[in-house]
Amino acid sequence: MDSDEIHGGAVEGKDEEEDEGEPESPSSGSDCSDDLEPEWLDDVQKNGELFYLELSEGEEEAALVQSTVAQGLATNHVRFSEQEAEIISDSGRCKESIKREPKLKRLVKILKKKKKQPSERRGHSKRSLGSGSASSRGGASSLQPASILKNQAGQRSGVSVQQQQHLKEVRVYLNPRRLGGCSPTPERGGLLEALLGVLHRPASAEGATGSGGRGQEKLAVHGLVPNSPAMKCAQILVGDVLVAVDDVDVTPENIERVLSCIPGPTQVKLTLETASPCEGANSGRPGGRPSAQVGQLVKLLWGEDTAELQMSISHIPHIIMYLSLKLDSESSKEEQEILYLYPVSEASGQLKGVRGVFLTLSDMLEGVTGGRIVSSSLLLRQHLVHVGYWKEGGHLLVVGLPAERVPLLQLSTVVGGVARTLAIMFGSLDRAFCEPDHGSRLDHFFCLFFQRLLQPSWLTEAPGTLPPDVSGALFQDGLPGVRWLSLPPEMKVEIDTILSDFESSDFGEMSEDFFGLRRLYVTLGSCLFYKGYLIANHLPKEDLLDVSLYCQHYCLLPLASEQRIGQLVIWRELFPQRRSPLAPPTSSPGYGNTHGRCFLLIVGLRHFLQCVLLEAGGCAAPAVGDPGPDCVYVDQVKATLLQLEGLEGALEERLATPPIPCLSCADWFLPSPRDRLDTATASPVFGRLSRRSPFTDARGRRTSPQRSLSDSGSEGPGDSTPDVNRKLGGRRDSLGSGGSDGSGGSGSLFKIPRKRHPNPFYLGTLKKSLSERETEEMYNTMKLTSGAENTLFHYVFMETVQGVFIAPTHREVAQLSGAIHPQLIRNFHRCCLSIRATFRQSLASLEKYGGDVPQGACGLGLVKEHGVLFQCKPENWTDQKKPAPTMTYWVIGRMILDPVPQEFYVCFHDSVAELPVEMAFRLSFGLAS
Amino acid sequence: MFGSGQDVLLSSCETERGGRVVWRVFHDSVMLIAVSGQDTEAVCEFQLRRLLDNIWNCMVLILGIDELVNVRNVERLKRDLRLCYQLIDGFLEASGEWMGDVTHCVDCLLPPQLVLLQEALDAFSHAAESEFGCLLVHGKVVAATEKWWRLAPQEVVLLTVLLRSLGGTACCDQPVFLPQGSPTVPHRLLRFQLLPGADVCVLCGPSPSLQRAEIELVGRFWRPLMEILWTCLALKDHCLPGSVTLHKDVLGLLLINRESSRAISSVRSAVNPPGAPSVARRWELLRLFFIFTVKRYFVQDEVAQRQKRESLQEEFALGFSHQPIQCYMVTEECKCFGLQTPHYQLYLLMPFSVPTFALRPLAARTLSTLTATGF
Repeated sequence: MDSDEIHGGAVEGKDEEEDEGEPESPSSGSDCSDDLEPEWLDDVQKNGELFYLELSEGEEEAALVQSTVAQGLATNHVRFSEQEAEIISDSGRCKESIKREPKLKRLVKILKKKKKQPSERRGHSKRSLGSGSASSRGGASSLQPASILKNQAGQRSGVSVQQQQHLKEVRVYLNPRRLGGCSPTPERGGLLEALLGVLHRPASAEGATGSGGRGQEKLAVHGLVPNSPAMKCAQILVGDVLVAVDDVDVTPENIERVLSCIPGPTQVKLTLETASPCEGANSGRPGGRPSAQVGQLVKLLWGEDTAELQMSISHIPHIIMYLSLKLDSESSKEEQEILYLYPVSEASGQLKGVRGVFLTLSDMLEGVTGGRIVSSSLLLRQHLVHVGYWKEGGHLLVVGLPAERVPLLQLSTVVGGVARTLAIMFGSLDRAFCEPDHGSRLDHFFCLFFQRLLQPSWLTEAPGTLPPDVSGALFQDGLPGVRWLSLPPEMKVEIDTILSDFESSDFGEMSEDFFGLRRLYVTLGSCLFYKGYLIANHLPKEDLLDVSLYCQHYCLLPLASEQRIGQLVIWRELFPQRRSPLAPPTSSPGYGNTHGRCFLLIVGLRHFLQCVLLEAGGCAAPAVGDPGPDCVYVDQVKATLLQLEGLEGALEERLATPPIPCLSCADWFLPSPRDRLDTATASPVFGRLSRRSPFTDARGRRTSPQRSLSDSGSEGPGDSTPDVNRKLGGRRDSLGSGGSDGSGGSGSLFKIPRKRHPNPFYLGTLKKSLSERETEEMYNTMKLTSGAENTLFHYVFMETVQGVFIAPTHREVAQLSGAIHPQLIRNFHRCCLSIRATFRQSLASLEKYGGDVPQGACGLGLVKEHGVLFQCKPENWTDQKKPAPTMTYWVIGRMILDPVPQEFYVCFHDSVAELPVEMAFRLSFGLAS
Repeated sequence: MFGSGQDVLLSSCETERGGRVVWRVFHDSVMLIAVSGQDTEAVCEFQLRRLLDNIWNCMVLILGIDELVNVRNVERLKRDLRLCYQLIDGFLEASGEWMGDVTHCVDCLLPPQLVLLQEALDAFSHAAESEFGCLLVHGKVVAATEKWWRLAPQEVVLLTVLLRSLGGTACCDQPVFLPQGSPTVPHRLLRFQLLPGADVCVLCGPSPSLQRAEIELVGRFWRPLMEILWTCLALKDHCLPGSVTLHKDVLGLLLINRESSRAISSVRSAVNPPGAPSVARRWELLRLFFIFTVKRYFVQDEVAQRQKRESLQEEFALGFSHQPIQCYMVTEECKCFGLQTPHYQLYLLMPFSVPTFALRPLAARTLSTLTATGF
């Protein structure tokens, strides 16, 4: 797991080209992809740029699965004699902890050996291997004991024969490119594990030395790698023995070589000898998850099939134009002032028709009000359209967007974001729009841009379940920061170390000593995203914002969060904003920016995305022309990502942990409509739950629904719980008083006897909360708000210095599903738009006048805190007799300028009696630590 | 206007640092353009739109709608419009003390002995052969006849501004067109000064003559009430009778009755905790906070109706899925709190020293105190 090991491995792999034939280096097989040209090489464009996106396996598989599952079903019906059935039941009882047993048991049975041999320890396994080898010696190639493969010859011919022999064929989709050209080391299972996802432990620890011993060993499946092709096909079981790959017999000896011959993504037929019936075959792949919408995003990124998407928004007026302000009156060419226009549709045609208005306004208004034009609103066929302007030199960028999608408050941020992104991609707006060969790339860019703003539902995962949170996306994209996922310190240190190792660039071919040449690039820094969350950043803030803007406009973060990227390589020159002549000079003394050229390298693998900023010139060799991506650097990033893959489990665990601070769901505070309650009470368990829930509880909302439920849940259904309630209550109280260190009084963090917040209508979480472990964990959960209940619904914490913000993860939000809650979050984000706009405006007016603000010109003055109380009622309230119950909640934003600028946005239930201010402070402490 | 040929209607523009231009065409004949410079951060589109509405109404009030819609001679119209300038200036210079221009609600003053004043006004109006009578102190309505209250709130605001602009004279007789009630037929507005700052006015037909009314009626009905009028005049910024006791920390307030479209605004100059903004600034803050809140959160009833047809400006408040009912803001100078109930809107200004969590109960208490007066 040490970085050197991986890097060493990769470099070593390169050196080993000639030794490929040697059986000693199982890793050499994977080097095939290294030796070949990288698959993205053909996609590098003339100007050196590269945008190479390879579908995630799941996505590519989706189509294949559709065709093959049926086929698989047909071929995998295996009949079993009674004898075999016994074995199955035997192996079925085996727990995961003794995975190897089924295989060994079968081996035993087949070889007529006694049960002494099977063991989980390798020392014993070696013996069993030895005896096995004795019986099957002489099988020159992949010959298994004859007792297993009676009809060896028929293996390749007929399906029916195989079935009788308890062989099954499984088709899996393999993609060697996913490995990123990095050879899996033999210790890590080689290609078998990396590519196929089958764990096979060589029976002897020192098996590498004795090749004779290996020959007889069977390729048994000892385990499956999560999310691997083998796991996903759900037909390969632990204990199966891999017999052939695409009708080529395989043994532990040749498997690596066979697998390494798979040239690219393809479907492979595996022949397995099995002891169990193919139960998994019927279930198939669970769900076939990848949805059509994900495909849309990928298609869009590939630049394919955009016509249909464009058609679907053609009725919404939107346009982007780049207009020249200096008109050459002599050459009266039609539409000569339009330097760029997108899209060409009916609604945009109307906006294009009035471009004269935009030009006139931008020209005229400067003289009228003394400032450049920022925006204007116009009514187009009963649609209110906001038009944003960005003036640079003698040109004008005009962006028209419908008011219902982009509020005026946010328009300037959106337009500013576009202008900045184009500037960092091309150097300046002029260069972006005026060079003729940029046209198609700009079309692509703006196609994505408009789809993202006007039709976000097409690009997100869940089709038609919920309207996407448009204001949320607007708000979070508009924040000058990147969404951050806080990690446990030890994990953070590990990731940072790996990144630092990479950035130091002093290994292998990247070090100057290697060739005695100046290195091509200096790594300025890199940042790492996992599932769209920033988990490590070694870039200065402005650079980070540049990179995240690029990722945002190319939808890379949602892409990485929703599906596993097969392989993503992006390479392009970047013009960081802090180096642009427009940027204010850096204030830090003794630090001068170099003026080398910058290149952005983004490599994505599965859910990881690493963005690296490289610099040519300066102390590295100056870049000549338009250099394309250098394989060495791409490979190093891939190696880093592969090394990080080991942390994927821990990261997933982090994402799966209950939210800290604890969040509540708005629906718990509202009774549901009668009909839902009725259906709920139909089941006895539900009936009990709803009796205990406050929906029918006379004590009212004060007894929190969550607590009563979790109390009963923790004790298990069927018990009488008053005692327990008392016990838990007492324990909570004592913890509460005990935990009040530091901040003092009621305003302290204390633990509550509740981990999850069981939804009374969702048994799944309740069942889970019954386990003892979780009951214990309930006591360790942090709670943010004080008082008897947890009343925090949502939060966003913006740290301006580092350029990051923290918000509950998508999964945390998804857990709190309900009818009202998504509405509440949308409302929260919309309100945040307003609050943040207020903050910015008050700051701007403060800056304009310095400390000396003239009377009557400063508006409301510097706004430090702003809150809004909302009231919501349940939808479709059916009970006519009683008025609909209401729930009220605050959305509060707070801006702190000293010592470091920070912004908090919190949303909590109205019942919080104390200072929300205090709560906001605690939020910062809870997250910063 | 630009783009009208292409079926595009331009409504507003914003420039750097808060400069704004807003257009509106009235009855396809007159276009009004409002421009705010870049150093007037406080002026927002909402305000400029209200200003355009008000100015159009001023023009109709003085000239009648016929002359504005069917323009025969532009030069003559320009000359005639000079008559409106004084009134329009009243709106352009609007600041402090009254807020009818932005609230479109009638600014009122709660007198100590309303019943006596109301009786006198009713009798006076009856004697003047009019059903529309109104008593104003400091340009705020103290009492009005029932019919007067049935005028559109905007018209009443307009009339009070007109009376204010007429100023100084002891009495006057002014023909007015009511922009909504009778935009084509003029009425006579008779105004008599009772005391400096206290006026009574009636809307009437051809009779009585100004002279007869002044000599015969004014003295007869109003002389007995001079004492009460003096006490009303003394209320000035406070606008509330001494019997209403507010919490000591309330710097200023604006209460709007949403049903009757009446408003009381009050700044308490007597309350002066250290660091509190000046009286003039308090009026300004109250006005700004009201505009901000209405623009962002509290949907005005009239706006909700207008939205159904079409709107020239984005109504941010309508985008919320849940209804905003309260809001507050903490600035360097003070704390503002606004709340909305089905019948009232209340905006409060409090010193910075008041803890934030106390704002809400304080506002609730203030609201119940004020509504107890029967306003």
